[in-house]
Amino acid sequence: MLKRALAIIFLLIIGYWLAQGLAGVPFGEDRMLVGQYYLDHVKGQTGAVNAVTAIVVNYRGFDTLGEVTVLFIASTGVGALLWRKKRERTAKTEGSMVLTTGTTLLFPFVVLFGAYIFIHGHLTPGGGFPGGATIATAFLLLYMAFITYEIPHKAFEKTEGIVGMAYVLVGLIGLAIGGYFLYDWIWQDWKLGADNIGRLLSGGFIPIIYTIIGIKVGTELSGIIDNMLKEEVSE
Amino acid sequence: MNGQYASLLIALPLISAFFVPLIKGLGKKAVKYYLVAITALQTGIAAWVFQQVYTSGEPIIVMAGGWKPPVGINLYIGHFAALFVLIVAAVSFMMAVFSIRAVEVEPIDKYTMLFLLLMLGATGMISTGDLFNLFVFMEITAISAYALTAYNKTGEAAEASMKYIVLGGIGSSFFLIGIALIYGATGTLNMAHLAQLAGAIDPTVAQVGLALIVFGLAVEAELFPLNAWAPDAYQAAPHPITAMFSAFVVKAGLYAMARLLYLMQAVESWHSVLKMLVIMATLTVFVAEFSALRQRNVKRMIAYSSIAQIGLIALAFALGTQSGVDAGVFHMVNHAIVKALLFLAVGHVAVTLGGTSLEHFEGLGKRMPLTAFAITVGAVAAVGIPLFNVFWSKLRILLAAIGAGYTWAAALVLIASVVEAVYYFRLIHTMWFAGEGEKVSENMALGLVMLFLAALVIVIGVYPDYAWSIAQKAGSDIFNVAQYVKNVPLMGVGA
Repeated sequence: MLKRALAIIFLLIIGYWLAQGLAGVPFGEDRMLVGQYYLDHVKGQTGAVNAVTAIVVNYRGFDTLGEVTVLFIASTGVGALLWRKKRERTAKTEGSMVLTTGTTLLFPFVVLFGAYIFIHGHLTPGGGFPGGATIATAFLLLYMAFITYEIPHKAFEKTEGIVGMAYVLVGLIGLAIGGYFLYDWIWQDWKLGADNIGRLLSGGFIPIIYTIIGIKVGTELSGIIDNMLKEEVSE
Repeated sequence: MNGQYASLLIALPLISAFFVPLIKGLGKKAVKYYLVAITALQTGIAAWVFQQVYTSGEPIIVMAGGWKPPVGINLYIGHFAALFVLIVAAVSFMMAVFSIRAVEVEPIDKYTMLFLLLMLGATGMISTGDLFNLFVFMEITAISAYALTAYNKTGEAAEASMKYIVLGGIGSSFFLIGIALIYGATGTLNMAHLAQLAGAIDPTVAQVGLALIVFGLAVEAELFPLNAWAPDAYQAAPHPITAMFSAFVVKAGLYAMARLLYLMQAVESWHSVLKMLVIMATLTVFVAEFSALRQRNVKRMIAYSSIAQIGLIALAFALGTQSGVDAGVFHMVNHAIVKALLFLAVGHVAVTLGGTSLEHFEGLGKRMPLTAFAITVGAVAAVGIPLFNVFWSKLRILLAAIGAGYTWAAALVLIASVVEAVYYFRLIHTMWFAGEGEKVSENMALGLVMLFLAALVIVIGVYPDYAWSIAQKAGSDIFNVAQYVKNVPLMGVGA
């Protein structure tokens, strides 16, 4: 009892201290030093009308490469820890007719929608991460509907590796052409799509990178689902 | 060659990790040798960067995407980062060689990827010049470390990893909230730009933000009371990974803490944060040394010893003086060498004789003389006997602590050192004077690596001047913030 009371008092003190700190942060005031710069220059410098995407993929693309890596580690880690010699799906009840029929019909459209999200990342809200997650839900649907379904592991794993390498390669091409790692040579040097801003074929290398991220996130999350659904069986 | 090519330090481990799924069909052996080749290549690039930075005396500023800071993200590879990126790569290379023999648990391809990404994360943390990018690299380091801790798939490994995940997750969220507060107060994430604006932050905000960041990083830097995960994780992780944890993963966290502290020194409440850190660091040394004394498992004992030494480095950084920071960096270098040697040798014993409890070390001098010799050199050095490398850095840390007016901290650390001597000499005694045994064959490649590290310990111990001059340059890279800000080509943004 005393212990709990002490813990509560301690938490209240820390909470008060944090609140004091938060109260001192000037939210909503004009403190957007870097933020304002992005808003003023985003169109001319990156060719993207979605400023958030331009920051995520272009200005701070290095962070995004890191975030993609974090997801890759998560999926690799799950794969490493759940690794067994022989694993199979052990689900017993087949999905209902509604689920199986719906899945068969919807699967291509869910994938299409996911692809739409990441291809249009530089124009509309969304991008590679939500697009990839949408694609993974399509595979999750298949897993739920059919008790024997499994993704093509080898192909997925190889695709994951290849698109990951493609992302780094895009960065290295930038290094070779423009002299900087992850330099957007398509927009800044070739000026491709300069009279096309706001349409699909613009935004420099953003659509390319978002396509890469979308495929990568999609295969990775599907791989995690697959790993978590299967159980070890004795030979 | 253009300095921007230093970005290969990041690109190479990344692209090589993504390449592993394509070659895993070639078999376990091939993947392990691939890992050795990549880490060797990384060491080559790091050596080139080191040579560039130390001959020109100028830091390499890598600007990702060609955007000037603070709009884009930059890497700052100054004297400190160049030195430690080289240490990270070299230790990784040695541990990759060790992995050929030490790691048999499947799946090797995943192990290789996580290994490379752990190296990548530490490299990035040490070289980045952007606060949020630091967070990203910290996540990369931490999450690959969680997975590698549990890699052996035993019960203890799972428990250790779980502890690490919980504490590490809390630490990361503290760190992220701290970043958010500081970003909210300044409007920038670039470290050099932050240093310029630090003086103008509201004192409460700065205190809260800085304290959150210090607490968040203290989990990675293994400071008391947030280091409960560390001994378990060190013991449960595969042997090469333990050596990497001790040699550079924890140091990356410690460096990040020191770098951010010194960058924010214009903040009003700076000295109170430093004082808190001095107390935490001294307690770390004290508690860890006494815990080490009670251990019957040698790997765990050395893990505690490693934590104690890390506390010593943190103490040196928390003094707030130039001599303290220099001594801390010097100790970081020495500790990396000694602990890589010790964990490598102990791991070698475990792989050959099947365990790391004290009984396995009885008669080691007769069974594996070379390994026993390596452990002896490492142990004697870790205690801080003159003519071994750690002596010089320990001495300088103690002198710096007294110079900064923390005599009580120096006294406590000295008492702890006596404790350290007791358990290390107990180990040496067990190895050479207890038990009998037949000679078993030792691995030649590992023997060479151990001899190389032991030679390094003794060479730095006898001729400390060159290593000390490098450590001084690296130390002033952290301490001299004005120079740091001047080196980063900031573009004017806003007002």
